[in-house]
Amino acid sequence: MELDCRGMRCPLPIIKLATALKESEEVILLSDDPATLPDLSAWARMTGNFYEVVGTNKYFVKRL
Amino acid sequence: MGSVTGNFQSETPLHPAASAFLTEAFDRGWASPDKRHAESQKVAILLNEAKESLAGHLGLRREQLEILSDPAIGYHLGISGLLREGSRLLYPAISRSEVFAIAEGVPAEKLETDSRGVAQSPVGEFEDVLAWQSANAETGTIAPTPDTFAGRIFVDATASGALLPLPNRWSTALWSSRAWQGPAGVSIFAIGDRAIWRNALPHFDQRISSSDFSVPLTIASAIALDAFTADYKERRSEIRALNHEIRDFLHNEIGDVDIAGGIDTTLPHLLSFSFLYIDAEILMNELDRRGFAVDSGSACNSANMEPSHVLAAMGLLTHGNIRIALHNEVNRNEVIEFLKTLQVLIAEMRA
Repeated sequence: MELDCRGMRCPLPIIKLATALKESEEVILLSDDPATLPDLSAWARMTGNFYEVVGTNKYFVKRL
Repeated sequence: MGSVTGNFQSETPLHPAASAFLTEAFDRGWASPDKRHAESQKVAILLNEAKESLAGHLGLRREQLEILSDPAIGYHLGISGLLREGSRLLYPAISRSEVFAIAEGVPAEKLETDSRGVAQSPVGEFEDVLAWQSANAETGTIAPTPDTFAGRIFVDATASGALLPLPNRWSTALWSSRAWQGPAGVSIFAIGDRAIWRNALPHFDQRISSSDFSVPLTIASAIALDAFTADYKERRSEIRALNHEIRDFLHNEIGDVDIAGGIDTTLPHLLSFSFLYIDAEILMNELDRRGFAVDSGSACNSANMEPSHVLAAMGLLTHGNIRIALHNEVNRNEVIEFLKTLQVLIAEMRA
């Protein structure tokens, strides 16, 4: 599933990501908010999920 | 004096002991201490007493101490004054923006910082300069002393004030009077005895950082530091217990929260925490409407819409961040009321 959050400001991309992960085990997140990278990393640590940078403003996220 | 109820932001009103003396300080301290008139000579004595008192609390001798108005000038004097041909500036990724600004113009290396706010321990060369922060203003994290560093050390003590000692070896150091409920616009700059320091500002004489400053406000700062230290000594264990209680409440009663640093590695009166899935701007506004003033390091609260570089460098959640200061006047009821308000707001916002 691809989730396009470009143009959105924090914390919206992370909130939308959490909702999307309820439906899909894997999500490709598109986000150009400068807070997304540090936030994804902290979010993954806090919630025990996995993420990886796969391109410019593009992240692969997997529910664990 | 305004009420400080619900004030958890970093700024405080002037310490009551200092504000009680303010009018008298301006009446007695108006003349220039550098002139030879009788009034000036009296002011010179008052200033020396204030400097003596400040120096005593900060672990200095009076002769090492200079009064500056703007702390930003102190960063420049303290750091640029130590740099030489061939020097590199080493600075932790959680340094103040003033340090980043100086690093832009000189050979420099940013030191990565771990989740406790501890920068990798640099060795450096003899010519290098380390901008060392004794404690971080945003998160309260305390840095280990830079004992292994081979070069010269600038100490940024603007957050720790008199609460942490200077490291064994230091060349220049900077304090802000705000750290002890003193007036804004008074900072203390010190040059170590054997420091190879030069004045990086345009100047005539080598050693003196000649700048205009207010003698009455310097006296007020000295009185504030004296009173603040006494208050803090009395309240320290109580404030630490409150800090403990807040951490427990955040983890157990609210949850999904990222707290910066542990209780033993941060200043007990400073706490920074981030709530998952929370918009800090909305949270701050809701808290403000209920009479609680707090600060935030989240992007929505900054001028450039970038999240706090400190939170990002420590790998902490940058959204939903608020930071609070537990001032000496705070009582437990205020803290409990604040936590309960926070709990209700977070539950509503996450629903």
